Amino acid sequence: MTYFILKRICVTFLVIAVTSVVAFLLVHLSGDPAAAMAGEGATESDIAAVRQLYGFDRPLIVQYFDWIGRVLQGEFGRSYYLRMDVADVLADHMPVTATLGVLALSFALLLSIPLGVLAALYPNTLIDRIALWLAVAGQALPSFVFALGLMYIFGVYFRLLPISGGATWAHFIMPAIALGYYATPAIMRLTRSGMMDVLQSDHVRTARAYGLAPWRVVVRHGLRHAIIPVVSLAAVQLGFMLGGSIVIETIFSLKGLGYLAWESIQRADIEVIQAILLVIATAYAFLTLLADLLNAVLDPRIRMS
Amino acid sequence: MRGEPILEVKGLQVEIPVEGAVLRPVRGVDLSVSRGETVAVVGESGCGKSLTALAIMGLLPRAARYTCERITLKGEALTNASPRRWRQLRGDRIAMIFQDPMTALDPCYRIGDQMREILQQHRRISSQAARERSLELLRKVGIPSPEERLSQFPHQLSGGLRQRVMIAMALLCEPELIIADEPTTALDVTIQAQILRLLREIQRDTGIGLILITHDLGVVAGMADRIVVMYGGEVVEVGACDDVLSRPLHPYTEGLMRSIPVPGQTKRGDLLGFIPGIVPRQVGERTRCGFIDRCPYAVESCATGPVPLSAVGNGREVRCAIPAEKRDPQAWNRLAEAS
Amino acid sequence: MTVAANSAAPTIDRSMSPGRVALRRALRHGSFWVGGLILLAITIAAILAPVLTHHDPTAQDLARRFLPPIWAEKGSWEHILGTDNLGRDYLARLLYGARISLIIGLFTVLISGVIGTALGVAAGYWGGWVDLIINFVVTIRLTLPVVLVALVVVALIGSSLSLMIVVIGLLLWDRFAIVVRSATQQVAQREFIIAARTIGSSTSRILLKEILPNITGPLIVVASIEFAHAILLEAALSFLGLGVQPPEVSWGLMVSEAKTQLLFRPWMVAIPGAALVALIFAINLIGDAIRDVTTPEGRA
Repeated sequence: MTYFILKRICVTFLVIAVTSVVAFLLVHLSGDPAAAMAGEGATESDIAAVRQLYGFDRPLIVQYFDWIGRVLQGEFGRSYYLRMDVADVLADHMPVTATLGVLALSFALLLSIPLGVLAALYPNTLIDRIALWLAVAGQALPSFVFALGLMYIFGVYFRLLPISGGATWAHFIMPAIALGYYATPAIMRLTRSGMMDVLQSDHVRTARAYGLAPWRVVVRHGLRHAIIPVVSLAAVQLGFMLGGSIVIETIFSLKGLGYLAWESIQRADIEVIQAILLVIATAYAFLTLLADLLNAVLDPRIRMS
Repeated sequence: MRGEPILEVKGLQVEIPVEGAVLRPVRGVDLSVSRGETVAVVGESGCGKSLTALAIMGLLPRAARYTCERITLKGEALTNASPRRWRQLRGDRIAMIFQDPMTALDPCYRIGDQMREILQQHRRISSQAARERSLELLRKVGIPSPEERLSQFPHQLSGGLRQRVMIAMALLCEPELIIADEPTTALDVTIQAQILRLLREIQRDTGIGLILITHDLGVVAGMADRIVVMYGGEVVEVGACDDVLSRPLHPYTEGLMRSIPVPGQTKRGDLLGFIPGIVPRQVGERTRCGFIDRCPYAVESCATGPVPLSAVGNGREVRCAIPAEKRDPQAWNRLAEAS
Repeated sequence: MTVAANSAAPTIDRSMSPGRVALRRALRHGSFWVGGLILLAITIAAILAPVLTHHDPTAQDLARRFLPPIWAEKGSWEHILGTDNLGRDYLARLLYGARISLIIGLFTVLISGVIGTALGVAAGYWGGWVDLIINFVVTIRLTLPVVLVALVVVALIGSSLSLMIVVIGLLLWDRFAIVVRSATQQVAQREFIIAARTIGSSTSRILLKEILPNITGPLIVVASIEFAHAILLEAALSFLGLGVQPPEVSWGLMVSEAKTQLLFRPWMVAIPGAALVALIFAINLIGDAIRDVTTPEGRA
């Protein structure tokens, strides 16, 4: 088992390393970074100056290792536009995205797991159909349409919730719902099918045979088993949410990493863009690692082998 | 050993609606168990014996429905009992032991936790007292170092130990009746004997009623007081154990007896008896004898209508229209040759 | 092929190929019809756009900005869905926007489908090192946030329709690879593959004639999922301003331009939004129906 963990950790680091190369290449090979940074209306000499200043004239390999070397020391470069250390900029924006992500995931779990359990307990009834239709609807709704819809209903029409900024907890409610609902169908379906399987199992039959209270049977002996793959899925979905937060953050003016990415892309702030890609990819890689480890710990069958 | 009746079931039917038809895997079964009595329910897979047990416990799968003329547990009529009442009874007054101890216990929880859960569901008792009671029972079923076992997970125990744990769990609340569904089928032969011996001891000590469901006649011989033979969802023969085994009345029982090799008599090269054919699908009402397709003695009159279960004295009952004197002793050999 | 058996046999004619059996079952499936009809309606509307409206979706008329749609007070049949902030007819923009969504969906699925299927078949058939490397590549692709990468590339290179199609196509092949890989593994173990190898069929022949036809079920399901995915991605990119650029029309772009009007003219957001939802919904229904009829276990 420890061998398995070590192997997974090594693979994760390898993935992060290769991803960093890809991210780097993406940024540097999509057109001329110097020209992009210099902006429109820049003269040749302006562009050349930028190129020199940022070392874009060096061979790509050199540039890459220079960058990675600095990153490993915690130095992410300097934002061209903001005239700040990228590390500081990231640190300013990360908490918002992290909060949003966790809230969104919590919303998704709180909605989909109970629905999935109920749908499994009463298959082919009204609640089951509601759950399945919710799943279908959830997949068909683009996040920005949903976000604007929420904004209109709760922010404009009913004036219940604030629609922009990130000052209070209330500011995160709609963004969290808009970001989280997309994970709901997958989690609900997985919970439902897992529960339907486990409810047929022998040990649930034993629990029932001993007259245990229904909630105990369903939760302690049923959900406990069915939830294992859901935990993995949830970690992975969180990773997706981190990457997909850009749309939500721009709509609701939440100053998180997504918002920063959006601004930096518009301003061609190369160092920041690179850093954000790397940070999000790393977060996703670690979340999938966490998902695998949780799976190994929680699943008694893996523990037994 | 006759005592007061514990369980009485009359006219149990189980139906499962499937596409376009209604399966009836259990048809009009009567069953009764008295204090200190072991009743063996015998039959091959598909005869409905397990479903009968599950129906008695109220554990049928969602798709199945059951009806029953009467079902009483120690005098209490349970025919229309609420699900809540059933939950109170299960694990407390009636306990069930399942076939595969490997999968019957929850692999995520320790033995001690699972036992405590059962105790605390049915009794107001502290964790400490629950622990004591669990230890007491683990010792009673012959498990060495019970304290260790309490904190172990099911997969850390061998098959035989796990089945002993299941028996201990069944005894936690001092039930009146235990239903054991193929308790030894998944175990090694040597362990089988130990488990059966254990069940007998417990019954002697506590006087509980035991319903032993099995397809293995060998298991029945040393254990049962009464045998109920089932075929095709119906009871086809009932009687005292030794009586039925030495003088089977129903052709199916005869067939079962013939398929057991007898040490000392069966010689190498002898053809073991077998009953050709497979269990028929149980749809709709009976219009003729259920065993007719596989019976060596069948005649035309067997196909005219359903055959009722009739008492033939001495507590024997049999569902057959052909009395012993009219049976051709060579019929089995002819059937074996034909197939 | 032998003819179906006696009169008591089930309705499926044994002489039909699995594909036709699936098609028949699909046609009896409710979702398939609903989804299919909606998709058909949208496709026809997109193709017949010039017939259905005489307006040019890009023609600005600043004198007639923000005209309300037909159901509002001052609405008129001239502009059934009203006009936008630049006086462009909304219905026309909706119809021509459908073209963009469908074209992008179709071509990106082709590109990602080819890439993903090739990788998946290779990984599933040869296994070993090939499988390991391809799995690693898939992991890398999954680790990169799709929306961000698409944005970066499009921002730095410049956005045109064909570029978007290529970029999205190069990003959405992962599910194809994963599903095709496992489907190929299952098929490759079956006897007729081993038989084909034994009689000396070349690898490419085996791949084309034996494996590919047998993985079409899951392949189509994934294709429908990614078709929807591509349309959503393009809509999001256009919404953020880095997708389809004016004067081209895109539903995502329409939503983006309308969001400042959310307070007073919510229908301007709702109409293209609803169109997107309807299209994705239809595609999902079809995909679900196909999945239900091609998996032996049927509905979960």
